[in-house]
Amino acid sequence: MSAPSDAAPAVSAPAPTTTAAASSGGFTFKLHPLVIVNVSDHHTRVKAQAACSGDSSSSSSAAGAGAGAGQPPRVFGCVIGVQRGRTVEIFNSFELVLDPVSGTLDRAFLEKKQELYKKVFPDFYVLGWYSTGSDVHDTDMQIHKALMDVNESPVYLLLNPTINLSQKDLPVTIYESELHVIDGSPQLIFVRSNYTIETVEAERISVDHVAHLKPSDGGSAATQLAAHLTGIHSAIKMLNSRVRVIHQYLVAMQKGDIPVDNSLLRQVSSLVRRLPAMESQKFQDDFLMEYNDTLLMTYLAMFTNCSSTMNELVEKINTSYERPTTRRGGRGAFM
Amino acid sequence: MEPTSSASIARQTWELENNIPAAATDPDAMDAIYRYDDSVQARAQQEKPWANDPHHFRRTKISALALLKMVVHARAGGTIEVMGLMQGKCEGDAIIVMDAFALPVEGTETRVNAQADAYEYMVEYSTINKQAGRLENVVGWYHSHPGYGCWLSGIDVSTQMLNQQFTEPFLAVVIDPTRTVSAGKVEIGAFRTYPKDYKPPDEPVSEYQTIPLNKIEDFGVHCKSYYALDITYFKSSLDSHLLDLLWNKYWVNTLSSSPLLGNRDYVAGQIFDLADKLEQAEGQLAHSRFGGMIMPSQRKKEQEESPLAKVTRDSSKITAEQVHGLMSQVIKDILFNSVHPSSKASTSAPDSSGPEPMVEA
Repeated sequence: MSAPSDAAPAVSAPAPTTTAAASSGGFTFKLHPLVIVNVSDHHTRVKAQAACSGDSSSSSSAAGAGAGAGQPPRVFGCVIGVQRGRTVEIFNSFELVLDPVSGTLDRAFLEKKQELYKKVFPDFYVLGWYSTGSDVHDTDMQIHKALMDVNESPVYLLLNPTINLSQKDLPVTIYESELHVIDGSPQLIFVRSNYTIETVEAERISVDHVAHLKPSDGGSAATQLAAHLTGIHSAIKMLNSRVRVIHQYLVAMQKGDIPVDNSLLRQVSSLVRRLPAMESQKFQDDFLMEYNDTLLMTYLAMFTNCSSTMNELVEKINTSYERPTTRRGGRGAFM
Repeated sequence: MEPTSSASIARQTWELENNIPAAATDPDAMDAIYRYDDSVQARAQQEKPWANDPHHFRRTKISALALLKMVVHARAGGTIEVMGLMQGKCEGDAIIVMDAFALPVEGTETRVNAQADAYEYMVEYSTINKQAGRLENVVGWYHSHPGYGCWLSGIDVSTQMLNQQFTEPFLAVVIDPTRTVSAGKVEIGAFRTYPKDYKPPDEPVSEYQTIPLNKIEDFGVHCKSYYALDITYFKSSLDSHLLDLLWNKYWVNTLSSSPLLGNRDYVAGQIFDLADKLEQAEGQLAHSRFGGMIMPSQRKKEQEESPLAKVTRDSSKITAEQVHGLMSQVIKDILFNSVHPSSKASTSAPDSSGPEPMVEA
């Protein structure tokens, strides 16, 4: 469920190699957070290394061409993942070496790396490449074309590493290449595509863990409960705020402040009609069964707890009020 | 509706309460850890402060990237143990893990033979990475114990002892992806072994974890030959910024996760194990019921618990996790199911669900 506000891309003056219009291809892109953290780590590493080697050119790290003075050097790498039909899922990424002179990728390196990664993740294919920077550069199309013989339609992932505290959206954009006719001649240009963040449960938990720096030890049951509920609470708060946005938008449309947008209205209507999410009797039965199972577990745990406490109590009583049966030492021997 | 500002206020409060120094939030200081200084590392290798003190390393700092990679790899292995190597550096009494990568070997029984394959891969990978700007050396290894906790088994202990003899500094990390998903928090442990014949000082028992019956012997025999290090995590300024923004897209996954469904197998296994342990505990207790003769032998040190108490602790833990899962389900039910198209929403109620579960601050 992505809020409709995500879908409006800004239109800017098109550079010769790019255009910011939404892609017309039918691919849906799914991005895993691991890739984002990977690219960010690569960038930070190279920046830290370049800063510490002073004003000498970044020779200690083979980062990339085109670094402006005072700007962190660009980094390049490859993204890998799985493509099933029209869905492209990007799971992981690794670094690449760019030849600073010719501006092309080091092919041998790429192949070596690919081989190594294939051994560990046999299902993943090279899906494209990534780079950092604030906007697409002219030289990027060259690299993109070079990668085309590995994958016929690679994706280009651009991460903007400048930290802008006021922005609300991830500074990650995914570009595809399309053949458009410009000035009478067919040219390849970059078009933006939308993407969603996809995750597996384990990834989500570790991202959550690092993002919010939750206390890493067990803590008491109360703190664990608090942590769990806080997570859900923040998620629900988000949901609430998004719903309010939609509501305000609709109210404004009703008043006439904003021109009526029928496609948006259709989307909202279909969303509202999806609730209640589940209404069948079978669901209710299964839900109640699960509920009862959990209650049963709690009951059993309580029982175990009680019997353990009882056992301790009985032991203590036995110890303190032991009647002298066969012992000749008499009472008080076990005090 | 400023989720970012209230979130940042909450974070600042948390940081204050947990005494995180202000330097930790300064972007340049945060990123300083990413610098790799060859000369400092070479000097440390020559001095070898760890050669004299088996307890020299006490802490480890793991980067966000390394943690993410390790957990994802461990989870991808399912119920098979997987392993990999970690790259980083050492700093004083801390080992810093910057990155991790997976090794193409699986399983525990063949571990000793697979070392050769693993070394080949590792050498190739390290040399290649140096070209791409990853300058750190291999500083440890990690592997997963899916479902049976974070500790070192007998084979693990011998592997680690070997590593600590020849490739210091070296760290062993164990991850349990099944428990991570079940409990909703990362289950991870970092260990270093003592050299043979070293008598460790009596350590306070670290966080208790339940070990399945079939592994408990292996655990008990070796648990004194290694010690655990404190784990802290770090991330770069860009990482924090991105992770904050990621939450804007992530909340959907948090709300839609169903731990009850995902963990059915694991919970069933745990309950089965618990039943076995209960039987064992019952057998032990039955002997002590008759007569005071056996009483003195029952007087244990305060730290040890009777088996029944341990079983109680385990059962409470499992139940708590289940209850958490159930709570999520109930909340989702209230949010999305208790809507009826016939009821006319009043003009001021924007939410489509009947009862308003949370009020926005």
